[in-house]
Amino acid sequence: MSETQPVHILESPWGGGVSPFGVEWQKLMMWIFIISDALLFAGFLAGYGFLRLASPSWPLQSEVFDLRLITLMTFVLISSSATMATAVGAAQHGNQKMVIRFLLLTILGGLTFLGLQAYEWSHLIAQGASLSGNPWGVPLFSASFFVITGFHGSHVLSGIIILTVTAIRTTLGRSRAEGVELAGLFWHFVDLVWVFIFTFFYLI
Amino acid sequence: MTNPQHPFRIKLYWITWAWLLVLTVVMLFLGSAKLVPLLLVGIMAKASFIGANFMHLRFERIALVVIVVVAIIFTAAALFAGIASDGVHIRNLL
Repeated sequence: MSETQPVHILESPWGGGVSPFGVEWQKLMMWIFIISDALLFAGFLAGYGFLRLASPSWPLQSEVFDLRLITLMTFVLISSSATMATAVGAAQHGNQKMVIRFLLLTILGGLTFLGLQAYEWSHLIAQGASLSGNPWGVPLFSASFFVITGFHGSHVLSGIIILTVTAIRTTLGRSRAEGVELAGLFWHFVDLVWVFIFTFFYLI
Repeated sequence: MTNPQHPFRIKLYWITWAWLLVLTVVMLFLGSAKLVPLLLVGIMAKASFIGANFMHLRFERIALVVIVVVAIIFTAAALFAGIASDGVHIRNLL
């Protein structure tokens, strides 16, 4: 019998199996996606910040917008985040009815937010605001407004679609608690972005 | 053990909700007074509340938290470094 040479196997310090971050790959990927999406909005807001610095003057937000409406929108989105988190908690507990109820409440909150945003847009457009100009003296004011809130609104819409699909799947008994949690992560991210937009665009 | 009547952590979420609303109202007043540094503190507080409680980062392994926080800090630092000096320069020219 001839002796076989031992085969040298490369050893990794991580033995494989469970993710080193302690979460399943789906959740990790959702977090990585959220970070990349956050970079998108960070870029927009940074560009907007530069625009503010480089502009000799800027319209006074309290004169252009009804800040009570914007505060209401913020309230609606924060509340929808709370109902979303409740839905996730209910899913982890296995209470299907509660999950569906709170998913529907979250969707309702999202739709309300979009409706209020659409109302705001139509109000501004009716006053002459567009991507190329507006009556308040700084053309890029309305351009940055529509781009930033437009991108955020499209994220809200995507979230609503995701939540609707999740609600349907839960009704059919085909969704796992982890899936509801992933949808929740995206929804909370959308709320988080709004916190930044609300402060930087409407308050400062 | 989870209480069957009150699923996982629900109370935490609604306490967080209340704090977020309080912070929003406070920031509204800070905004009308244009107190920018305090507004930035407010943003960080709100973001921490949402990230830690709603997004469960408080209960995740630290490695995951590190990914998120370091990415955000690095991005903010890079954007700030790239924009601030140019912005201030232009501001001084105006």
